[in-house]
Amino acid sequence: MDAEDLKVATFHSHYGAIMFRKRIGDGQLRPVPRSLSSSCGTAVFFSSPFDSSMADENTEAVYVKDGDGWRRIWKA
Amino acid sequence: MRIADKGKLSITGAIIGIAAVVLTVLGNPGNMGFCIACFLRDTAGAMHLHTAPIVEYVRPEIIGIIIGAFAFSLLGGDFRPRGGSSPVLRFIIGFIVMIGALVFLGCPLRMVLRLGGGDLNALVGLLGFIAGIGVGCIFLSNGFTLGKAERQSRLEGVALPASTVLLFILFLAVPSLFLFSESGPGSMHAPVAAALLAGLIVGAAAERTRLCMAGGIRDIFLLRDFTLITGFIAIFALTLIGNIIAGSFNLGFADQPVSHPMHIWNFLGMFAVGLGSVMLGGCPLRQLILAAEGSSDSAAAVGGMIVGAAFAHNFSLASSANVGPGINGKVALIAGIIVLLAIAAIATAKERRNA
Repeated sequence: MDAEDLKVATFHSHYGAIMFRKRIGDGQLRPVPRSLSSSCGTAVFFSSPFDSSMADENTEAVYVKDGDGWRRIWKA
Repeated sequence: MRIADKGKLSITGAIIGIAAVVLTVLGNPGNMGFCIACFLRDTAGAMHLHTAPIVEYVRPEIIGIIIGAFAFSLLGGDFRPRGGSSPVLRFIIGFIVMIGALVFLGCPLRMVLRLGGGDLNALVGLLGFIAGIGVGCIFLSNGFTLGKAERQSRLEGVALPASTVLLFILFLAVPSLFLFSESGPGSMHAPVAAALLAGLIVGAAAERTRLCMAGGIRDIFLLRDFTLITGFIAIFALTLIGNIIAGSFNLGFADQPVSHPMHIWNFLGMFAVGLGSVMLGGCPLRQLILAAEGSSDSAAAVGGMIVGAAFAHNFSLASSANVGPGINGKVALIAGIIVLLAIAAIATAKERRNA
């Protein structure tokens, strides 16, 4: 995965993460980075371009890698 | 970053392991430096919610964990009041988790402390815990959710930590309000200042690291991720070393402190705790931490655990040390597991219909 394009999507449920990855056909399920949330849910790390049609009601937010941190590019 | 997370979790686990052994040396019952289920139960007894004379004490460890996590969530920007994700179901699941824990005689944290003390009954409990988490993960992968949490007011988020502070002030200022055991586990406790300090440190560290006894095993099943489990392993390792140094390591099934050798009920008790914890999104310790961070859903689960503890002693559901559960406890636990499975199945089916 190219670090420049690395994105992470967070969800309201584990199933939301599974379905998102299935829809976009890309990505890995991993724990939500601690720097993004104190919750311990499942996130999808992916590199394909994001547009809002990829999200559904279970999608919480999408972030893109920005230096050492993450920059939010979409929120429900 | 992943290595850093594992390092922090190892340090947190080590702090909990050391604090647990120190609290035991200072007066807490054997292998009970910390036990969220037992300490909520003791606190419920102190508040007259049940009247089992041997398990009544306002445990400062619980108060410290909530206040420590609350303070660090404010400092770290993690205090985010939210709720509305099936609070009544969470209350019921918390209730059943407590029944399971009191049939086993300990929450997942005490299960690890018992393992570190050489209590092999806890190994049977661990197998049940893993099985319960495994079943919970099958539901999670097939759509189980208790619904979205929405933003709540700061007043709502502060209510539980503020109530905890009020309880502690009353405990210090007007102790005659409360019941205190004169014998049994409730009468055995470390000095208040030491217990509070240990709770504050553990609450703060667990908040920063998201330490969760159930989450570590869940992440291995669902994500093949071994980050959270490092906290679990560190607690075990330090407790084991601490018990050997303190001379309190005793390997075997018989004559273990506040424990019983009824294998099937140890297994099923922790099965209910594992399954319920996955449904709630965390073990009893994690529910305290999330409630302190402003989750009114987790506060509902903690409320369910307190009421469950009161029912467990008012209706003779809890196990007796060395003996195990009576018929009431066995029936309640089986019924509780059936209710958990029914809630999980119905919620999963609903989500799949909507998908």
